[in-house]
Amino acid sequence: MLLVTRKNLFSEPTRLAISVGGVAVSVLLITFLLALFRGWNEKVGGFVENVDADIWIAREGTTDFLAAGSILPTERGEQLSSVPGVERWSPLIVRPMTATKGATKDGTEMDVQLVGYDPQSAMGGPVRMEEGKGVPGPGEVVVDEALSHRYGVDIGDSIAAAGRDWTVVGKSSGGDFVASQTIFVALDEAQEALEMEGLATFFLLKLRDPSQGEQVAEAIESADPRVLAITNDDFAAATRDRVLSDVIPILMVILILAFTVGLVVAALTIYTATVEKAREYGILKAVGFSNGYLYRVVFEQSLVTGLLGFLIGAGLTVVVGPLTQEVVPQFVVFIRWQDVLGVAGFTLLMVLIAAYVPTRRLAAIDPVAVFKA
Amino acid sequence: MPDRSMVLQMQAVTKVYGTGDAAVAALDSVDFQAQTGEVVVVMGPSGAGKTTFLTIAGALLRPTAGTIEIAGTDITRLREKDLPAIRREKVGFIFQSFNLLEALTALENVRLVIADEATTERAATNRARELLDMLGLSHRLKSLPKQLSGGEKQRVGIARALANNPDLILADEPTANLDSKRGLEVMRLLRRIAIELDKGVVVVSHDHRMREVAHRVVWLEDGRFRSDVVTARDPVCGQVVEVEVAPTASFEGHSYYFCAEQCLKLFEANPHRYAGPAE
Repeated sequence: MLLVTRKNLFSEPTRLAISVGGVAVSVLLITFLLALFRGWNEKVGGFVENVDADIWIAREGTTDFLAAGSILPTERGEQLSSVPGVERWSPLIVRPMTATKGATKDGTEMDVQLVGYDPQSAMGGPVRMEEGKGVPGPGEVVVDEALSHRYGVDIGDSIAAAGRDWTVVGKSSGGDFVASQTIFVALDEAQEALEMEGLATFFLLKLRDPSQGEQVAEAIESADPRVLAITNDDFAAATRDRVLSDVIPILMVILILAFTVGLVVAALTIYTATVEKAREYGILKAVGFSNGYLYRVVFEQSLVTGLLGFLIGAGLTVVVGPLTQEVVPQFVVFIRWQDVLGVAGFTLLMVLIAAYVPTRRLAAIDPVAVFKA
Repeated sequence: MPDRSMVLQMQAVTKVYGTGDAAVAALDSVDFQAQTGEVVVVMGPSGAGKTTFLTIAGALLRPTAGTIEIAGTDITRLREKDLPAIRREKVGFIFQSFNLLEALTALENVRLVIADEATTERAATNRARELLDMLGLSHRLKSLPKQLSGGEKQRVGIARALANNPDLILADEPTANLDSKRGLEVMRLLRRIAIELDKGVVVVSHDHRMREVAHRVVWLEDGRFRSDVVTARDPVCGQVVEVEVAPTASFEGHSYYFCAEQCLKLFEANPHRYAGPAE
C-alpha cells in the first residue's frame, strides 16, 4: 500500500469508519439475504429431493408438493406396477393443515404438512430420524425437529391434527419447509383421520433404472392424461419455485438497494475525501507524481475500504446469522463459501465504481493552482 | 571559481492566455538563464507574469512559443506524460505556503518524493533523514506539519525540494509567510544550497531582502525582463517597487516609494513609524 494511501485513510478515523461502515452494512445485507435465500432453497426443496422415489404421480393440474389438491384412488396405483420400468410404488397422503400443541384444540397452532406414508415401504417417510421411534404406530406421530424446536413439542407430548390426538414418538429432520413442517403418521391412520380410505395424494414410484425417469413419466401421462407424472428433481424444483418465485423479486430489490447503499456511502466518502485533499493532490502533481500515481492512491483507498467493509460485513453475517435463526426460526440462513466469494466480487465492483468518479476529478486538478497562497 | 553549468535556459518563451481580442501575453518572448551555484531573484509587480514564468520554468505549464531546457533536456519537445518525471528528478519546488501533506510527518513528506522503483525504502528514509539533519530538523522528523513553525515547515519544504538532488530549485515567494528572522534564515539557506550543493536557485519574490542573498536580480514586468529598472523598497510593506511608476512621498528630505496608494496613505498618516534610510 502506498504511504499516501495509508496516511490518508488512517489519519481520519471517523471518515474511514463511516466509509467502512457503509460497505460493511451493505455486505451484511447482501450476504444475509443470499444466506436466507440459500437457506430457504435448501429447506423448501430438501424434503422432496430426499424422498426415495424417482417419479411422483399426482392428479393432473397439481403443481407442487405444498399445494397439492390431488386425490388419487389407490387402485389406480396397482396399475402402475405393470408400467415397464417400474420396480415398486407406494401411496402417500400429504395434507397441509393447522395442528395444535397439546391434546385439546386450545393449544398453540402450528402449520404442518401431515404426511401419511406406508411404514412398510418407508417411501415418503421421515428423511432422517434424530430421536425416538422411527415408525409411528396407531395414534402416534413423528414430528420434524424444526417443529419441535419452534413450538417446544417433545417426545411424549400430544398434538391434535385432522380431528385426532396423536402422541409424539420420534423426531426427524429434513422435513422443514420454513413456513410449515412435516409430521408423519402411518398411511392407514391418515386415511382414517382424513376420511380418505382408498385414496392417496401421490403415488411414489421407484424405477429399475432411475435414468429412465423422463421416459417412464411420459409413458404414464400418455396412458392416462388425468394424472401428472413428474421426476423427483423436477418436483423438488417446482416446490422450490412455489415458495421462492414470489420471494426472489423482493430479495433482488433489497439486494440492489443494499448494493446501492454501499456504493453511495463508499463513493461519497471517497469523493469528498478526494475533493478535500484536492490541493494535496495538486502538490503531488506539482512535485512530479503522475496522474497514474494519484489514481492508484484513490483506488487503493477504495479497495482498503472495501476489504475492511467486506471482512466486517461477512464476519457479522457469520456471527449474527445463526443468532438470528435461533430467535426467528423462519430466518433460515445457509452460508456457502461460493456466495461469500460472490459478495467479495460485488464489493470489489462496488469500490471500483466508487473510486472511478474521484479519479476523473483528480485528472482535472491543475498543479499550477498550488502556487496560489 | 567552480565550473558552472546551465540548469535553466529559456529562449524566446511566450505564453499567451486566451485568444483573439481577449488574448493576454503573460510572457512575451522572454530569454532567461540560470547556472549552478547562483541565486537568481525574479522581481516585479503583481501581475507581471512571475508565476507564469516559474510554472513554465518548472515544466508545469507549456509555453505558447519558445524553448526551455532544464539541465540539458529540452522539455518543450517532451510529451505531456513525460513532464512529471522531469519535475520529480530535475526540479525542486519551494512554495510560499509550504505545501506539505498534512497527514505525513516531516520525514515522510521528504521521503515520499524520493521513493521510486529504483530506490529502496531504507535508502529513501536515510536520504530524507540526512537532508532534515542538514537543515537542523533532526528533532522534528516525526512531527506533523501542524506541529511545526512556519520556518520549520519551509525547511521541510526545502528538504523535499532537494530530495532527488535536482540541479534546479524554483522557489515561489519562499519568505512571504515567514517573520523577518525566519525569512532571513531561509534566504541564507537558499544561498548556501546554491553555493555548497551547486544548485541553480531561481526565486520569485517581492521581498527586498532577497537581494542580499542574490547573485543576480532581474525585473519582470508586463511579461518581459527589463534591465533599466530602478527599484526601491516600500517602507510600509517591504515590497520591491519600480521607482519610475510607484506612488511617491517625501519626508525629511528623503523620497519614499510605495507599491500602492494604500501603503502611501499609511505612511503619510504616520511617517515616523515607517521612515528610515530611504533605499
